[in-house]
Formats: sequence, structure tokens, C-alpha cells
Amino acid sequence: MKNHLQIGLALSFFKRNAVSLTETLVTHQPIETSDEAGERSVSTQKTGDESGNTVIVAPPEFRFMYPEFLPDPAPGTRNRLREKLERMDMLQRRSVIEIPEFYTGSIMAVTVADANSPNKFARFVGICIQRGGSGLRAWFILRNVVDKQGVEILYEMYCPLIQKIEVLRLERRLDESLLYLRDALPEYSTFPLNMEQERRLNNSVVPINPIKVKLRPRPWLERWERQNLQGVEDLNLPQRFYDKAEKVAKPWEKYDLMLHYRKTIPAEEQEKIFAEVHSQLQQQELKRKLRRRRGFDNEQ
Amino acid sequence: MVSSLAVDITPSSKAFKLFFNHEQIRTMSRVKRRTTHPPYWHVLKNNQRDDEKISSDNLRFVREVIQDKYKNKSPIKGSDLGIEKTEWDPKTKRSGVIARNIGMQHMWEKDGKKIICTVLQVLDNHVIRYVPPEEYANSVIGAKMFKNRKPLGCLVVGAEATNPDRFTRQYCSLFNEVGLLPKKRLARFIVTPNAALPPCTPLTAGHFVIGQAVDVYGKTIDYGFQGVVKRWGFKGGPASHGATKFHRRGGTIGTGRDKARVWPGQKMPGHMGSERRFNRGLKIVRINMKYNIVYVKGTVPGPTNSIVQIFDTILPRRKFTEAPPHPTYFPPEDGTLPQEDIWDSSLHVFGSPSISV
Repeated sequence: MKNHLQIGLALSFFKRNAVSLTETLVTHQPIETSDEAGERSVSTQKTGDESGNTVIVAPPEFRFMYPEFLPDPAPGTRNRLREKLERMDMLQRRSVIEIPEFYTGSIMAVTVADANSPNKFARFVGICIQRGGSGLRAWFILRNVVDKQGVEILYEMYCPLIQKIEVLRLERRLDESLLYLRDALPEYSTFPLNMEQERRLNNSVVPINPIKVKLRPRPWLERWERQNLQGVEDLNLPQRFYDKAEKVAKPWEKYDLMLHYRKTIPAEEQEKIFAEVHSQLQQQELKRKLRRRRGFDNEQ
Repeated sequence: MVSSLAVDITPSSKAFKLFFNHEQIRTMSRVKRRTTHPPYWHVLKNNQRDDEKISSDNLRFVREVIQDKYKNKSPIKGSDLGIEKTEWDPKTKRSGVIARNIGMQHMWEKDGKKIICTVLQVLDNHVIRYVPPEEYANSVIGAKMFKNRKPLGCLVVGAEATNPDRFTRQYCSLFNEVGLLPKKRLARFIVTPNAALPPCTPLTAGHFVIGQAVDVYGKTIDYGFQGVVKRWGFKGGPASHGATKFHRRGGTIGTGRDKARVWPGQKMPGHMGSERRFNRGLKIVRINMKYNIVYVKGTVPGPTNSIVQIFDTILPRRKFTEAPPHPTYFPPEDGTLPQEDIWDSSLHVFGSPSISV
């Protein structure tokens, strides 16, 4: 289903040159390993429109790096002006704090202002198991196991109480949602709280971790055998579970174009949205890089 | 009725049963809740004729005529209009404003608490006509409203200018005196004579003051024909344990003894929603002068993209103590631009540093 959707959206980027089209197709298939994932271009691409003026368009990766800029597709609640104002507020907040690119499966550390903590700040390290929401409501859940107790915390990305968001290890997994870690052996969710930021070997590629997680014996919180999970080991269930899963499965949904259309923002609108925010995001990144370099030079 | 109190008193809550006299509720459910037809004195608004086969040259000519008729409309400054300088006093009732509910947005207060705000876009409001108190008291509605009271004036305000082609000639004639493009929405606001405005006055988001309380009138979300559980908050029946076909039904509708009939006002399934409601005392937390947007803390009746009316509140403890822009706001004449984005002092501004407790 995912492949079909992504290929459909990639085809709609036909306006671009063929090189970038193959890049789009190759980078975003979830089953590929990091070797096969192609190069990502970080630069802007300029295309000409009918009048012959150059139009700056954001790179297609933006819809994976900044998915919360896309509004909720439900048609009854959409209003272009409100979405635009919300995006302006999001950019304002991003100018104060760096909200880095992350995906489900990345290990992150979040520092929050907390009145009840001894030093007024609380830092939590965990793996991002789910992210959602759009606009200022965007959230993500971090999971870790602390003193043999599984802990999950939902953070709202644009909450002003958040002081710092660090991505300690940037990687992706084979699934978009890692809720099955709740039923997995605890070692798959345990990360040291004093973990340090790992240096990325290749800045242009986000590696996909092909790990297959082992689940604890049943009972489970959800019926994982019905969810087509790629990142779990063979569940070893009796055949009746798989039979029932087949019975309740909806294999026609991957062919339902209107269903996918209703769940996503059309490609032309996505381009417009990201073209609007692209220049400001680039400026913010440049400022941060300069600040970091200046800080490094000062230290030296 | 959507309540702005801290305790949730919607029909489905427990507090509803504690606070309300059920006799009174039965009477309230007898009240005629809505009319679906417009009043008899409304002129037919939308153009009923089907597409005439008009040639493209003639179409272009019609458009030119429309443009010529309405073109010389420059932004009106305060000094251009014949507004008498009137004093504001606490008993003044100012005009309201027609706005569109364009959605909701989260904001955070300075202590980190999250609040939900409704975003209201103040449309292109213009005053169409002012009806003085004596004249208004003679009209059908005015007579009812001011039966034993001192009469007040009425301001007719319009919003959303549209192509005159869409409306009938009678409807467009309402706007001939003012010389404005016909408006899609009209509203009447009751004002004291000292807050009267001449025709063609624009009303913008600056009409309101940061931190003031407003009342918002709208028509609630139309749920259509709904059952008794959703409409009146009945509990229905058990989901299992052998319940035969009794999960979301009403149950008993009367005793057998007193009156021996179903009382009028008995709660039953029926049409739910699309009713006039006022949400009172909502605080304005942010005004954007560039896009004419008002952010109001709380919820507002009606779905997204519906039209609402905003007035200064009538709640006695939240009324104005200082003079607001009276009778309305005009941008300063010396050309200095007003501050584009005005925030309430309790709110965390997004561009400012993160909150540390």
C-alpha cells in the first residue's frame, strides 16, 4: 500500500528532471537497506513555469523531514488562511529552538522545563515509536525502559516548555509505527540515559535499521499478526491466527485510490506549502550552522 | 447549549442532572427551536434564472459596467466620514462584527499551560444603513424588542462582497444607496445612538481590544436526525447480557397514571443542531491586524468555515471599564502602521525564548 502511494506521488513530480525523479523513487521505499538508498540532494531545485520565470521549489524530501507542516487532510476542517498563519507561528517557534529532522526509530533526548525537578529541567532519552499531528499540534512519543519499567512520554513538538530536542541517533526502521516494542523483549527498548550524540557517517542518507524484534509470548496488547509488520521476527503463532487475519484483512485497500487521495494532501499543494516555508527553514539552518562553527572556533 | 462555565453542563454530564430542574428542562424542550424558512419581509436573494446564452462580448461589457459602477472605493479614513465626536460611557452598546470561524489553534500561556483558541477572520464588513431608535421601534421586530424599554438604534452591517450577477435586483437595491458591491451576509446590530456609524464605514479586527470579553453568536453544528442517546444524553440499554434490540432506545415515555398520555416536550429522537446559540464571555487573546484575524480563547458555536457574529460581552463583570475604540477603530491618519500582531500579556509569544519554570 505504501509503495503504491509513494510511487503515485513520485510520478506527480514529473515536472522535475529525470535524475531527481529516480532519486525520489529510490530513497523512499521502506524495505531497502541503507546501501541501496540513493543520494539525497539537499540543494534547491529550480524549475521554470509557463511564464518562463524561475520558481524556487523545495526538494521533495521535505514531506518526510517536516511532515507536520502538511495540514490535516480532512476536507471539512481545512482553511488555507488558518493553515498559513499556523505555519508562520511554527516557523517563529523554530527560530528559537532547533527541532531536528527525525523519524520513527530515531533515538532522541528531550529537555523540558519541569517545576517539580531538582534542577528545574527534566531530560528524557528514548526511541521515537510514533509521531503524528499536524501544525502546532504535532507530537511524538519516546519510549525507554528505566529500572525495568517501560516508560513512554508524549511530547508536543511546539510546546514552549521544551528547551532542547536532540537526535542522538538518526535512523529509520522498517515500520512507520513501533508500538510493538511494548510487547517486545525489554532489551529492544532500553537505551542508556547518558547516551551521547552519535556522529553520522554519511550526511546525505538516513540509514534504515533492518532489525527484526523478538516479541514476548502472548498475551499481547494488539493483534500484531494482522498488521503486516516488517520489523518483527516470525511470530510463531498457531495457524488459526493467520487464517482469521486473512479473513478480516482488507487487501483491496491498497488499490483504493480515492481512499489514499483523501488521506493525503495533493502533491501540487504540498509543493506550494513547502515552497512557502523552504527559504525560512534554510535561513534558520544556516544561522545555526554559523553559530555552531563560531562556537567551535571560540572553543579552539 | 454549549456552556463556557468550568463545569461541563452538556446534557450528557452528571452535573447536568445536579444543576437543573427537570421540570424546567421539559418546558425548555417544548420551545420552538428553529425555523428553517426566512422571514416574510426578506427579499429573494439569489438569482433564480438559469444560464442565459449570453455572448462573450456582452459578458465582457457587463463586467466593465460593474467595474465602473463600483470602482472608486478608496479606503475610508475616519475624517472622511461625517462621524460626530461622541463620548463613550459604560452604557454604550457598540456595533458587532461579522466573522468567519476558520478553525482552532493551540496557544500556550506564560506558565506553559496549553489553551485552545478559535481563529475568527473578520470579513470585509461595511455599514449599510443606520436605523435611528424611533424608526426602529416602529418596525415589527423593534416593537417586540423594546416593548417596555427605551428603544435603541439598529446598524445593518454587510460582509463578503460578491459579484452582483449572483443576486436579484431587489437584493442589490439594498446596497444602491451606499454604492457598495452587494454583500453575501447581512446582520443587524443593536447600538446606542452615540455609537451610530454612517454608511460605508469599514469594520475591522481593530474594533476589538486585546483582553476584552466577547460574545459570539452562531448556528451550532447540524447533526441531522439523531437518536435519543446523542441528542438528549440518554444512557440506552446494556450492550450484552441478553438485551434484545434495546441498546440505544429511549425506554419508557410516561407513567400510566398521571395525565395518562405522553407529555408535550417528551425527549425523543429528532433533528439536532443548527440552532442559534451565544457563547458568552470569551476572551480575545490575540489580534492580527494585517489579516484581520481575532483569536478567541474557547470554542464558538458552529462548524469550521461558518459565519458568526462577534459582539462586546453583556456579562456584567466582564464589560468594559475603559473606553474601547469608539464608535469603531480607524487606522491612524498620519500613515503610521499599527502593530501587526498584538498578543495578550498572559500568552507566550512564539518568537520569544522557551519558558523555564
